[in-house]
Amino acid sequence: MRNQLSKIILILAAVVVSLIFLYPTYQDYQFRKKLSSLSGQDSISYLEQNQEAILNAKLKRIKLGLDLQGGMRVVLEVDVIQLIDDIAKNKDDNFAAIIKEVRSEASTNDESVIPIFGRKFQQRGIRLSRYFGNIRDADNAVLSYLNGETEKAVDRAIEIVRNRVDQYRVSEPNIQKQGTRRIIVELPGVKDEREVQTLLQGTAKLEFRLLRDPAIAYRVMQSIDDFLAGKVSADTAAASKTAKKEEKPKDALDDLLAGNKPASSDTSKEAQFMKQHPFFSYVSPDQRNTGEGYVLDINRDRVMRLIARPDVQRILPIDFEFLWSAKTDLSPDGKKFYRIYAVKRVPELTGGVVVNARASVDPNDNRPIVNMEMNAEGSREWARITGANVNKRIAITLDNAVFSAPTVINKIVGGHSQITGMESPNEARLLEIVLRAGALPAPVSIIEQRSVGASLGEDSIRSGLNSTLWAVILTVLFMLFYYHNAGAMADVALVFNILFLLGVMAGFSATLTLPGIAGVVLTLGIAVDANVLINERVREELAGGKTLRAAVDAGYSKAFSAIFDSNVTTFLTGVVLYQFGSGPVQGFALTLMIGIVASMFSAIVITHVIFNIMMDKGLSPNFG
Amino acid sequence: MQLFKKTNIDFMGKRNTMYFASTIIIVIGMISLFVKGIDYGIDFRGGTEIVISFANTPDYGQIRSALGTINYGDSEIKSFGNERTILIRTTKQGEGMTIANTIMDGLRSNLADKSFQVLRTDKIGPKIGKELRRDAMYAVMASLFVILAYVAIRYKFSYGMGGVLALFHDVLLTLGILSLLNGVTPWLNLEITQEIIAAFLTIIGLSINDTVVVFDRIRENTKIYRSLSLGEVMNRSLNDTLSRTIITSGTILIVLLVLLFLGGEVTRGFAFTLTVGIITGTYSSIYIASAIVLDNSLRKKKE
Repeated sequence: MRNQLSKIILILAAVVVSLIFLYPTYQDYQFRKKLSSLSGQDSISYLEQNQEAILNAKLKRIKLGLDLQGGMRVVLEVDVIQLIDDIAKNKDDNFAAIIKEVRSEASTNDESVIPIFGRKFQQRGIRLSRYFGNIRDADNAVLSYLNGETEKAVDRAIEIVRNRVDQYRVSEPNIQKQGTRRIIVELPGVKDEREVQTLLQGTAKLEFRLLRDPAIAYRVMQSIDDFLAGKVSADTAAASKTAKKEEKPKDALDDLLAGNKPASSDTSKEAQFMKQHPFFSYVSPDQRNTGEGYVLDINRDRVMRLIARPDVQRILPIDFEFLWSAKTDLSPDGKKFYRIYAVKRVPELTGGVVVNARASVDPNDNRPIVNMEMNAEGSREWARITGANVNKRIAITLDNAVFSAPTVINKIVGGHSQITGMESPNEARLLEIVLRAGALPAPVSIIEQRSVGASLGEDSIRSGLNSTLWAVILTVLFMLFYYHNAGAMADVALVFNILFLLGVMAGFSATLTLPGIAGVVLTLGIAVDANVLINERVREELAGGKTLRAAVDAGYSKAFSAIFDSNVTTFLTGVVLYQFGSGPVQGFALTLMIGIVASMFSAIVITHVIFNIMMDKGLSPNFG
Repeated sequence: MQLFKKTNIDFMGKRNTMYFASTIIIVIGMISLFVKGIDYGIDFRGGTEIVISFANTPDYGQIRSALGTINYGDSEIKSFGNERTILIRTTKQGEGMTIANTIMDGLRSNLADKSFQVLRTDKIGPKIGKELRRDAMYAVMASLFVILAYVAIRYKFSYGMGGVLALFHDVLLTLGILSLLNGVTPWLNLEITQEIIAAFLTIIGLSINDTVVVFDRIRENTKIYRSLSLGEVMNRSLNDTLSRTIITSGTILIVLLVLLFLGGEVTRGFAFTLTVGIITGTYSSIYIASAIVLDNSLRKKKE
């Protein structure tokens, strides 16, 4: 009984940890059930009230792979030939001919593009420096420069895609770099082909937009707040007044804002504020009078809906638009928030004029900075714009998301600008990428695209769950039938095993794919094996004339080496599978590996403890 | 309950018969592999694949002629899981999803029955297919090597060899059977996809699992029965572990059969491959792996 206690504690700890990890998945399931049972307005208000909890559960649950929930998986590859063509200078017929040759050779050959490209030039005796970099650069230097540019193009493409996916509010996207030139993008729930085109292809739109005067920005926010609260200011037209009167009672959101929340005493003040300031409850204007507004991450969708309302759009001044910051910041109390900026609708300049951008460090104070260069035409315009707007702010936007909004310090002549005020080198690097996206597109091509319809996903889930259920039932019955109460013990271990497997998966936020379900089913077989090995061994020892307790102990200790070695070899194939496989196959490998570890624990530790407890209590387990 | 009382089967004595039987089956499979070949799925070939389901059983002739009018008449059309769902596949390559869109537009405008719904579209570029084939081969080779190393370290090198040769046997035999049975019934689609590669690696994992349990017992019995010859110790060990081998494989087989019949068409090929693999893996753990170790040690003694 001495070491029994520590084992029991270990088992209980494992159970508790698994349950804690699994709780968000359960919660998420409950929320979904609740939401689908509610209709229209009720579901919106339920969503609003529990937004934080729902988001939290969603983040921590076991995720479903694309094959189970439907969606789109796209693999993009940077088109290196196109990129080389884009950055070459002084292009002539010779160059065009070489590009054509390289393109045809690369399509039939596994060799990567840049060495082929270098070889072609060598064969013709043309120096690469004629088209790239400095005239005195050696070929090798140019080639490594091109390699570097390729990698930068991948980073740029990732940033562009991530930015758009964020702006379009695709939920739970997964964007990953694969190797040096590829990007994997997974978009659950996205079904429309055209949606993917807008998200992943086409040139990114870099713009410089003048911020509206902070006083005006604040006044507009105030008038939106007044309008939503029903206190329409004099300058808004009567038309919007009548529109408001008709629409207001129907609007679920307004009903909610007007106080659908339970008015208990401590929240009544808050409810009162919400009622009077429906806009400012969610948007806090910057107290330092910058004209920016802060919106908590969880409120963003709500505020987007508010601003997009046609009646709200009608009270905005001409040439006025709210744009969102591209990234969230952290507030002092650790909450994520976005900024909204009031900008002019018409951009001052578009990004095509940017020739180069480079993040570096200010030698004077070691702060991160970004140096930006423009072409001649852009420089002239830039000098005029900056000259006319000294001490005003200009937002740098990519696909309508604001990445930075620096203040113009003086008129910039000659096209060399320095942007300061970044908080970290990473922020500066991001801005460099964004600015370059305007200068140099990142040509990407889709090399793999898979879409799974949600209905196929539903079918897959149903048959997956069905087969798992049947597999469990049959296995449990068989063990019970063949080993009697030793079999029941194995069944208990099996249940623990499933619990641990799912718990660990939830803990890792692993993704459950269809092959993953197959992995779970297969793990059941493996879990049973360990118990079979032990039970057979105990039977042998009993047949050899040992007492029950001696036979059980001998059975466990002798079976251990076989269980260990055989599981290690299977585990190793799981590792290999995980290493070489992709997507769904990795999901399978992961569940297999977790399952093997869990099954060894449940078979060796749990059942042994139960047998010992039974024998301590004077019961004699029956090995069939 | 006990299915197997104490058995005393002379497994090692039958090893030449079993070698012969295995060779015959493998040779038949290999002939099929060379004559009929093996069907690579879209993952390994590249191209575009669309799965659509109709409300009623579609007429293949109409689909083919609809595809013919847009110059996709040479596409492959086959049923996918049930008769109302079909898979259309072409190895033609195009930018983005243009080919899938062309095919869908073509079907929409040329088919009388417009009740279909797109379940899945896959487009794989030509390079990816090549890379996946390479990775799959590396994966199988790497796992065999890792197993050889582990078993050689924990036991003896000849045991590692015996185990890995038995695995080769399992892989070749299963591959041959896949080649033989592919296309026999529309219910069962046995193309080589990434999932099938995963199935092969699982077969490798489970088969070596069985083999190692036997090896473990041989190691133990060698210490106990010092007077017996290696062949006798092996027979004894195989008999000792026979009950466990059959029960475990049987349980896994039950699970796999459930997956095969209830798991839906997406995992069907996977489950079938595993089912064949488990059977051959169990057989090779009993008759092949130890036999190779025995023959190896007998040959060494002669020298």
